[in-house]
Amino acid sequence: MISSSTSPHAGSTQKFALEINSAHKSFGQVDVLKGVNLKLDTGERVALMGPSGSGKSTLLNCICGIEPMDQGEIKLGGVSLNDISAKDLEQIRRQSIGYVFQSFHLLPTLSAFENIEFPAQLLDIPKKERLDRVEQLLDAIGLSQRAHHKPDALSGGECQRVAIARALIHRPNLILADEPTGSLDTDSGGQVLTLLEDLSNEFKVALLLVTHDQASTRICNRVISMKDGSLV
Amino acid sequence: MSIIPHSFRLILLLLVRTTLRHWRQKLGSYLLLLAIVAVGVGAFNGIRQASRSASANFGLFNQAVSGQSDFLIESPTQRLSTDVLAELSTLAGDPDWHMVPVIEGSVTALDSDNQPAQQLRLVGLDLLSLANLPDLVENKIDFGQDEASWYDWLGSENQVWIGQTTAEKIGVKEGGEVTILASGRRQQMRVRKILNQEGSALPDDLVIADIPTVQSLLSRPREINRVEVVLSQPDLRQDTDYLEEVEHRLTRELPENITLSPTQNRAADRAAMTAAFRLNLTILSLIAILVGAYLILQALDAAVVRKRTEIATLISLGVSRQILFLTSLVESIVIGLIGSVAGIGVGWFFAYFSAQMLADTVNALYFATTLDAISLTWTDCVFGVGLGLFFTLLAGWLPARDAMQTPPAQVLSKGDWSPGFTWLQKPKVGLCLMFLGGVCLLFPPLSLVGGGKMPVGGFLSAGFWILGAALLSGHALVVLSRWFRPFCTQPVSRLACSRLQDGSSRHRLAVAGLVVAVGMVTGMFQMVDSFRYTIEEWFDIRFQAELYISERGVTGAGTINGIDPTIMEELVQDETIAYADVVYISYAKPKEGITILSGVDMDAWTTSIKQLWYKPPGSFSAVAGAEPALISETFARRFGMINGGVTELDTPSGRKKISPVGIFSDYGNEFGTAAVDIKTWKSWTQSERPINVSLYLKEETDVNQIRDRLRLAFPGLDVRNGKELRDVALGIFEQTFKATSALNIIGLVVAFAGLLLGLFSIFDESARTWLTLRHLGFSNRQFLLSAGMEGAGIGLAAWVSGSLIGLVLGWLLVKVINVQSFGWTLLWHVPYTDFFIFGILLVLTGFLSGCLASAYWNFKRK
Repeated sequence: MISSSTSPHAGSTQKFALEINSAHKSFGQVDVLKGVNLKLDTGERVALMGPSGSGKSTLLNCICGIEPMDQGEIKLGGVSLNDISAKDLEQIRRQSIGYVFQSFHLLPTLSAFENIEFPAQLLDIPKKERLDRVEQLLDAIGLSQRAHHKPDALSGGECQRVAIARALIHRPNLILADEPTGSLDTDSGGQVLTLLEDLSNEFKVALLLVTHDQASTRICNRVISMKDGSLV
Repeated sequence: MSIIPHSFRLILLLLVRTTLRHWRQKLGSYLLLLAIVAVGVGAFNGIRQASRSASANFGLFNQAVSGQSDFLIESPTQRLSTDVLAELSTLAGDPDWHMVPVIEGSVTALDSDNQPAQQLRLVGLDLLSLANLPDLVENKIDFGQDEASWYDWLGSENQVWIGQTTAEKIGVKEGGEVTILASGRRQQMRVRKILNQEGSALPDDLVIADIPTVQSLLSRPREINRVEVVLSQPDLRQDTDYLEEVEHRLTRELPENITLSPTQNRAADRAAMTAAFRLNLTILSLIAILVGAYLILQALDAAVVRKRTEIATLISLGVSRQILFLTSLVESIVIGLIGSVAGIGVGWFFAYFSAQMLADTVNALYFATTLDAISLTWTDCVFGVGLGLFFTLLAGWLPARDAMQTPPAQVLSKGDWSPGFTWLQKPKVGLCLMFLGGVCLLFPPLSLVGGGKMPVGGFLSAGFWILGAALLSGHALVVLSRWFRPFCTQPVSRLACSRLQDGSSRHRLAVAGLVVAVGMVTGMFQMVDSFRYTIEEWFDIRFQAELYISERGVTGAGTINGIDPTIMEELVQDETIAYADVVYISYAKPKEGITILSGVDMDAWTTSIKQLWYKPPGSFSAVAGAEPALISETFARRFGMINGGVTELDTPSGRKKISPVGIFSDYGNEFGTAAVDIKTWKSWTQSERPINVSLYLKEETDVNQIRDRLRLAFPGLDVRNGKELRDVALGIFEQTFKATSALNIIGLVVAFAGLLLGLFSIFDESARTWLTLRHLGFSNRQFLLSAGMEGAGIGLAAWVSGSLIGLVLGWLLVKVINVQSFGWTLLWHVPYTDFFIFGILLVLTGFLSGCLASAYWNFKRK
């Protein structure tokens, strides 16, 4: 288990859910991140916009520790990702971050219920509490009747709602949403955004929303843009 | 306008621009696929080549010296009195042919510690007359510089000629002496000359001597084995009219009960004798390619799934489905072609290592043979490549068809997870195959030239059942996962179990490939174990005597020298012996092939000597006018006498009728044995030479003390107590199944290589799932564990399905195929402990394969 001193939960009273200072990352000769600085308050929702190739996805990968940075520092709930082991990084991903993908990426062999429950199982949350949370989230996303359907039996909008519930089951400090409405029609997209806003409010979770769509920014407190690896 | 058709150019373009690039990306997987084809083809070709090499010299050992003969003059027992030579004198002067009398037998050279070192084939020829044969000159065998003084060695009693290799093996030089055991005596032979083997093809174990010398060394005075007839004009060998005329002239002058047959018939007879053995091995050698076909199917299916988006895009761009289908098939052909060509090399390698093993088995069970150099013929190449291409095309057909039938829009809208072949999820095909297998069981066995039987129906049933079980095994995977799922509460186990329960075609094919191997191996386990168990039971009942005595050093079915009768007479006088059960055997000639005629004490055999009776004495009454006989089950089945009756055998005393009064179980040979009373045997065969004796000692005698005393008194005899005889017999038994075990192992190795390949492609196909799991905080350890559990699940499902079909195959092998092929009934014995150990090993190997494949996949991803 991650030590309490490095646990983001230990620092959940911190003002910033996410703090990025001078993040640099390059792939070979290509500089993808050029000194990115960003702070997200607890419960704050920020939209990150920018053209393809501007470094948005790389930034998300660096935030969740999948991609190591070349320089700079990222703090999640006050805990610097620079100073911790790979094992602790995995633990932080499990505890502090919820991830919503453009293509949902639900586990195809698990039902909606099991998909939502999965991150809680990874954290060894007691069964009763886990099941309560799943029920509560299923109710919140309006899919209680579809709980035992597998992803291939759900529509795109339903899949994304399940993905959002999965991102929230373990009560993270931060949700990283990578174009969550990119694969959805306007109506479904609208419902997903509203759901993200409501749940973010309800669970006091910060949201970093990567999007190309100006309309999606309506749920955000702040909109920032990225170009050629820098925030503008 | 180009002379190359447009469609051909398009296929070529697709191969170069897409297929080959995929190969480059997945080089490791494709190399493993090629290796699987190569091993499959190699196992088949290796067995073909090794069988040929192991039985290449079962013809006539003297031919390297005397040249190719055209006809053989023999008696039904393959032993002739020299008196026959006088009767043949009218034929001997004919200028159209030369007559070459031959005597042959096995002797055992002793080492410096007087222990048997090497078995040698002693061939006696009329060396003087051989000088007249053109072939001798052609073969350039130099019998020494002293031909001028030939009278020095003519008529010597112990001078022999041996080849360079043999001399080196037994460590003797020209003029040196070799101590040998022959016909129960210890004797000396002096090496007159070591023959320079350059340019001749002398078998390694050949020793040549003059006829009287061999008669003396083998204690077989006035006896030869056959007379070979060599045409004076070899160029007329192709002239069938001439050959017919010669055969007619020769037959006309032959004495009574002496037969003449073309020499090539002998090779055909011998080939027929081992036909069942070789066919069984050939079928077994197909396991690897059969398992391989599933793996190729799996790998090509995975490749098609991997390329679905690309295929869909190509279709959208206007490439016709037929072109894409043909491109996929050409890919299979290329895999089959490269794999098969490599397989021919692998086959040579397998043959090199297994030929001696097979030669030993043929020696032990059928007849004397020596190993020939491994040869590779064009037929081998054509067979190997044909087999590889057939299986790869068969395996490539379905994925190609499947890919072409998938609508592009549907393909493009799907994620990374595809169920693949939907027909695999329906049990219809599997159940149909199982039904067909049941129908085939009704087919009667096919009669082979030489009297053997081929259980075609049994083999077809085995094939259909194993394929059917392999297809149905995917359902076992799903059912087992469903059973286990409630117990999988942890995320890792839940994920693994859910993926298995989902039962993609890759998972199903991975199980199917393993099921083929596991089914065959567990079926063979049972057959070998049943055989061992039956032989042990047979031993416990049949061998109740205290001591067993036979000719020392000589082993193998082809060596029935027998023991010098004077030695046997002296031996049975020993005062500690209460009863000596002396057994005589010789060959006899039924209508087809050969069989064994035995002389036994009928009174004792029908009353006091214990036997494992299939039908005890008194079950039938002998037919009037026929000699009452006890026949082996093999003999009874071969000649249709399982419910009594009568059959005829050619003996040196003419054609004789025998009729069974009882049937005993005998696992010593598959030609069948008929035992008549000793007096009758001696009169029919005109021989006095016994083959072995079982000694029942008087009470309160120390068996081992008497054994040691007899060993000292009779150094040319093997004197063994019951336990020692059992050990020797079980040693021969283990030898017999060495090749089978080797093929089983090859099949399993291919299956596990395929499991690795399959798991790797499954993980590769689930790349997005793993990526998602990483975002969710799944650790590397959890990933490996989950993959390991997936592999273990596949192993478990394969074990359950494979063991079930293995049990059926075991029954089929023991109760149908063995009975029809060899004519003996085995006691069906299931080695449950071995089954469970095998199951545990399979699950563990599956787990390790999963971990290994995922670790490698992870490494590649990084």
